Amino acid sequence: MTQSEEALSRNPGGTLGANLMRRWMLLKGAVQRKGQTQGGTSFSSDFSTMAKQDPMDSQNMDLSWEVRANDRQFHKRLQRRSVLCFRKGKYADNVVRSYKYSPLTFLPLSLYEQFQRTANVFFLLMVILQCVPAISTLQWYTSMIPLLMVLSVRGLKDLADDLARRRSDTQINRRPCEVLNSQGFSSAQWQDICVGDVLRLHADQIVPADLLLLCSSEPHSLCYVETADIDGETNLKYRQALAITHQELSTDPIEPALLAFNGSDSKILQNCGRLVVKRTQVEIVLNRGVIGIVVFLLLSALLLAVGSGVFESQVSPHSEVLSALRGDHSPAYRAFLTFWGYVILLSPAMPMSLYITFEVIHVFLSLLISWDLDLYEEESETPAQARSTVLNEELGQVGYLLSDKTGTLTQNRLLFRQCCIAGFLYGAMPDTVEKPEFPQPLDLSWNPYSCGGLQFYDQRLVDRLRGQQCPETREFFTALALCHTVMAERREGVLVYQAASPDEGALVGAARDLGCVFLSRTRDSLTLSEQGNTRQYQLLALLDFTSQRRRMSVLVREPEGGLKLYCKGADIVILERLQQNCIHRESTERALELFAQGCLRTLCVAVRSVKEELWEEWSQVLSQVATATRYREDMLEQLYNNMESELTLLGVTAIEDRLQVGVPETINTLRQAGVKVWVLTGDKKETAVNIGYSCSLLDPDTTLLQAEELRQLLQSPDPEISLSKGNESGYWGKDRKREGNRMALVITGPELVEMEEKPDWGKRFVALSKHCQSVLCCRVTPGQKAAVVQLVRKHTSAITMAIGDGANDVNMIKTAHIGVGLSGMEGSQAVQNADYSLAQFRFVGKLLLVHGRWAYRRICIFLRYFLYKTSTFALVHIWFGFYNGFSAQAMYENWFITLYTVMYTILPILSVAVFDQDISAKASMHWPELYQVGQRQELFNPWQLSAAILYSTYTSLVLFFIPLGVFHYSALDYQTFAVTVATAAVFTVTAEVTLQTGFWTKYNAIAVFLSLAMYFVSTVILHSPRLHAAAPTDYYFPGASLNAFANPLLWLITLLTAFTAVLPSLTARALALVLNPMDTHRVHSSDPASSRGTLEMQARFRRGDLHRRSSYAMSQGRGFGRLITSGVGLRSTAPQQGGEQTAGKTSPEPGHKLEQEDTSALRTSR
Amino acid sequence: MMKKKEETANRPDNTAFTQQRLPAWQPMLSAGIVIPGFVLIGMAFIGIGVALFITSRNIQVLERDYTGDESNSPCNTCTHSSPDCNCVLNFTLSKLFEGPVFFYYGLSNYYQNYRRYGVSRDDSQLSGDVAYFKNPDSNCAPYRVDSKSVPIVPCGSIANSMFNDTFRLYHIVNGKEMEVPFDGKGIAWWTDYNVKFRNPSLVNGTLKAAFDGTVKPINWPKPAYELDPTDSSNNGFLNQDFLVWMRAAALPDFRKLYRRITQGDYAAGLPAGNYSLKITYNYPVLSFGGRKKIVLSNVSWMGGKNQFLGIAYLVIGSLCIVMSMVMLIVYAKFKFPDDGS
Repeated sequence: MTQSEEALSRNPGGTLGANLMRRWMLLKGAVQRKGQTQGGTSFSSDFSTMAKQDPMDSQNMDLSWEVRANDRQFHKRLQRRSVLCFRKGKYADNVVRSYKYSPLTFLPLSLYEQFQRTANVFFLLMVILQCVPAISTLQWYTSMIPLLMVLSVRGLKDLADDLARRRSDTQINRRPCEVLNSQGFSSAQWQDICVGDVLRLHADQIVPADLLLLCSSEPHSLCYVETADIDGETNLKYRQALAITHQELSTDPIEPALLAFNGSDSKILQNCGRLVVKRTQVEIVLNRGVIGIVVFLLLSALLLAVGSGVFESQVSPHSEVLSALRGDHSPAYRAFLTFWGYVILLSPAMPMSLYITFEVIHVFLSLLISWDLDLYEEESETPAQARSTVLNEELGQVGYLLSDKTGTLTQNRLLFRQCCIAGFLYGAMPDTVEKPEFPQPLDLSWNPYSCGGLQFYDQRLVDRLRGQQCPETREFFTALALCHTVMAERREGVLVYQAASPDEGALVGAARDLGCVFLSRTRDSLTLSEQGNTRQYQLLALLDFTSQRRRMSVLVREPEGGLKLYCKGADIVILERLQQNCIHRESTERALELFAQGCLRTLCVAVRSVKEELWEEWSQVLSQVATATRYREDMLEQLYNNMESELTLLGVTAIEDRLQVGVPETINTLRQAGVKVWVLTGDKKETAVNIGYSCSLLDPDTTLLQAEELRQLLQSPDPEISLSKGNESGYWGKDRKREGNRMALVITGPELVEMEEKPDWGKRFVALSKHCQSVLCCRVTPGQKAAVVQLVRKHTSAITMAIGDGANDVNMIKTAHIGVGLSGMEGSQAVQNADYSLAQFRFVGKLLLVHGRWAYRRICIFLRYFLYKTSTFALVHIWFGFYNGFSAQAMYENWFITLYTVMYTILPILSVAVFDQDISAKASMHWPELYQVGQRQELFNPWQLSAAILYSTYTSLVLFFIPLGVFHYSALDYQTFAVTVATAAVFTVTAEVTLQTGFWTKYNAIAVFLSLAMYFVSTVILHSPRLHAAAPTDYYFPGASLNAFANPLLWLITLLTAFTAVLPSLTARALALVLNPMDTHRVHSSDPASSRGTLEMQARFRRGDLHRRSSYAMSQGRGFGRLITSGVGLRSTAPQQGGEQTAGKTSPEPGHKLEQEDTSALRTSR
Repeated sequence: MMKKKEETANRPDNTAFTQQRLPAWQPMLSAGIVIPGFVLIGMAFIGIGVALFITSRNIQVLERDYTGDESNSPCNTCTHSSPDCNCVLNFTLSKLFEGPVFFYYGLSNYYQNYRRYGVSRDDSQLSGDVAYFKNPDSNCAPYRVDSKSVPIVPCGSIANSMFNDTFRLYHIVNGKEMEVPFDGKGIAWWTDYNVKFRNPSLVNGTLKAAFDGTVKPINWPKPAYELDPTDSSNNGFLNQDFLVWMRAAALPDFRKLYRRITQGDYAAGLPAGNYSLKITYNYPVLSFGGRKKIVLSNVSWMGGKNQFLGIAYLVIGSLCIVMSMVMLIVYAKFKFPDDGS
């Protein structure tokens, strides 16, 4: 039946900052009856003490907390209201508000946000300065127009985003639900729900709030929740109503839930981490560089101002003309004004258009990602999507890829692939089944219960099963059908299994398809249909699974009366409990190895015939132990152990935890690209390690550093040294000496907690991880996933990328530099919060190696060049200053300064930034090593930036002094000089960009010609007499350009200047070519297949010495077998691990407290 | 062609543009192209350099400083005397100075490109807009209005500081001075004369009346409408000398065209012989260390004499050649050991 907890999202306070997030849970089960009021239940929180309303029984009286359920008036009063920044009330309402602006707040808020960018403030300052007549060296519009454009473009973009958010909010807020009022349940919208409401939920409903289960229509008030939107896992979690409410309400069962928290108070929202504005490393370097440039410019302006002061005090007093101009002001005041004048003049070195263009390129590169057919999944018709458009270049620098496992690496689909029964191997290796020549899937039409989907290809098994000649085979599947904790349910006539462990689900499902059908269970019986014959087994005992025992057993009485113990578990555990002379042991062990090579997960299945006397004796002890108060667990363990001995091996199951398509190949490529892949999963260690091997994250001979070993290493002050010492002393084994890199760290959630407490450990851990090929973090909560990302970010300078598909990955996705959400079948939570969304994990390869690498290259080239070209043309003013009495005379006409960056020189670099490919996409994938250029930040770092500035200084010197040599003591005037230098500047930077262009598409060529043409045409137009006549002060260069262009001298100067200016760049390129003749041809000429091929072969070959891997993937930890066998299912040992996978488990937020107190409530109410 | 499936709405377009498969030319340079390339560019530059150098050398230039700060200078007496002081500069041409000969005056250390000097003018006024005669632009300060607040026309510092030395050149033939005719027409830019500068519309048929209510620039001896007493059309804002002066120089050392010698016997050039230049010395430059020169020059296709450009081309061209040599050596050093092994 139903019920739930959690969910929903919105951003705290509904104001600034957060993304749209939604968490939903799909409820399984069915609500059957209507109920009446009074869902009084126990929930408490640290912050609400409500008037006790309805004492339920005497046991409740002594509790310190009280409940007011279903009292709208009461809770309405406590509802949080906010007026501006004042908040009143305790509880948020349940309206999703992910929008940021209201009509009133849009303008101030959006302006406020925009002016948080230092660049915008800088430009605003420039505009203000230009409006001061005394210092205005340029017209006000040279900066004002671009600034207004930037502000309005960004503002409009924000507005559009916000409107989209509003629309989707409304959609979600209007979803219906049923709320209890005095007339019974009436339908309402989720947005109107408030804390304390009693709700009725139906099967398969989405629940956007934290709820407390009061009762459900299932026995024991169980309900199953799917938390795919929260943690990305599709297996069901069970929740149980509290004892007290169950008892109270079971006589007249209703199925309400009490709303505990909603809105921004909900557990997942409290736990989802805050939205951080992401900045790329390149941007950080750029911003630092910009600050550096600005400081440099200010310094230059200062020096020029000093020069001006000297000039004003030494030279101009002697000149009647100049001293008259100075007026009454002192030289110092003049110098002060000159300083600001030069600040304005030099500010184009740091143009606003850089930021606009940067954004345009980002958007275009993002579009290229979403346009890429290789990143488009045909099946689900999902293209890749770049939700954030600012991180493209960072895709080319990723050093750490932190991946979720379930649903990301694996499909979260377990397939019964092979089995070994009585020494016979059935089924085919997973590698080979994809081939078309392989036989058709089994014909299972004889089995009415078969639901298809069994990917098992061996007719022999079916023949044996049906042919009745092989009792072991039958018993094997009987064991699979009996030994589990799966719940069966008939839904519309179809048998549906609900399994807490996906492994169990797969095994029971496989047994069903092969004719050994588990039909139903009661507290003490199991009904099976074996090849059509219905048989009922009496369930005597269920020896539950724990992660220590790594096995589970059932003790049943067969219809014929015999007692059987069926046991399944990890191979080591089972094999050591077998009878002495087990006949199939050797062949089974061989099979285990074979399965391990196929990266299959194995479980051994065994049986024991139990004598009646033994059972009686054992059950007596069991009932004693069950009532024991001390050491009960230990005694139980001992008792179980006694029973699970003398086993007869039936066989081995091999389950494939299906990887997503192309995962091993992708991970292999990424590893070669130098990307460290870490896996963070809520699953247990065995599962994670297993997947690690199968997705080629770990090599077969990789040694795992874990638990104690790891702890020792971390305790030593310098883990790297002790690691190498260990190598020398042979402590780590000889293998490791040979293969220094073949190590992997395995760490679990509790160890992470421990690590957080010891500040040094984190650093050592990360340092250690650099020597390992991978790190697996198991049993981690969403919060810890984020903490791991934070750890990496803190201790390395590398770029982290987190990839996941569930809501439990949201935190990590938001914490990492780049978050990637997989838009698989799971919820949309991860995608909503991710920067990129992909349909498949394998697309990460192309995303990083091709799009990322290209984007990094393009953006670095763009930024370097852009700063070069703007500084080049602005720095000329410094040199000119020495020849005009430091008077802040502009070297160019105003219009040239305005249009230079945005019109005359923008197109060529834009087309480079958009089209450039140093090597093709195919070659990028074949040579992952090239990716390391980005990781090492080789293309854009402070050195590169300084080099660019130095080069532009040189160029500006050339640009000024070569024309100076000609104009010196000539009859040519200032305007001709200005046009000459401007033309030379345009030609120089265009020449430079043609050198940068290594990939000439037709657009590049058009761009070069077009931008030059634009320069000439618009210069001539702007210098036309007609415009001058219309506005003499704005167009004050009439005829200057035509006059200059008609002068051959201008062309000679331009040619010489442009060539001299690019000569260093040209020489450097030529020298690089001469020194490294093979370099450019290497990638193109060598055959990518050859070296890669042998590598692959080695890996295959080495699989021989694989360690066997056997495990039981209980993603929930302890099973809930006890619940099944106990009468009411309501015991004080109600599963405490139940919430392990949900988002809030370890969070210190109120949600956590609720959970703890749930348990205590149970205890007290017993 | 590739359309096997029904194209869905989500499916990206399969075009060369969206899939980044645009056909492109990737220049695959090698040492075999680069080194000869450098040599070729170097040769070309040297070629241009040589041509420029020769052209420049063929240009005749005669330069005489007449600042007069040295005691033996003929204009020494004028440096501290009243306006309209006359001095004579004699020089001898040993051979024919080929025509057309351009006569320049040159100033040094004179900051015509000083920013606030450059903006100290009213372009609207200079385009003949009478509205600005009454209220000149504020940029003209402190030469906007005179002490009695009467607007100055033409206002501003540039106009006020107009160069006002005058020159007359005499060819001494057999002891007799023959005046070399100067051509003062068309020495200003076409756009300046026809577009940028316009006289105000005549009032009562005279230019003088159009300037009513204004005063002449403080330093000027005569108002704008009386700049050229010999040619009435060369007055007002359209006076050629005024136009030339108003076109500000690029650098503090500059020369400006004064006259051309294109007429009469001297159209082919100045014959060898003795000449005397009579200078009316008005313009003070000594206070700020400036210098005044006269320059006689003929011009080529590349304008006046300019050694710099030719030499610069030669230097850069040689640099390219040197660079290619270095590269060749480096290349040989790196390449041949490989070949040997």
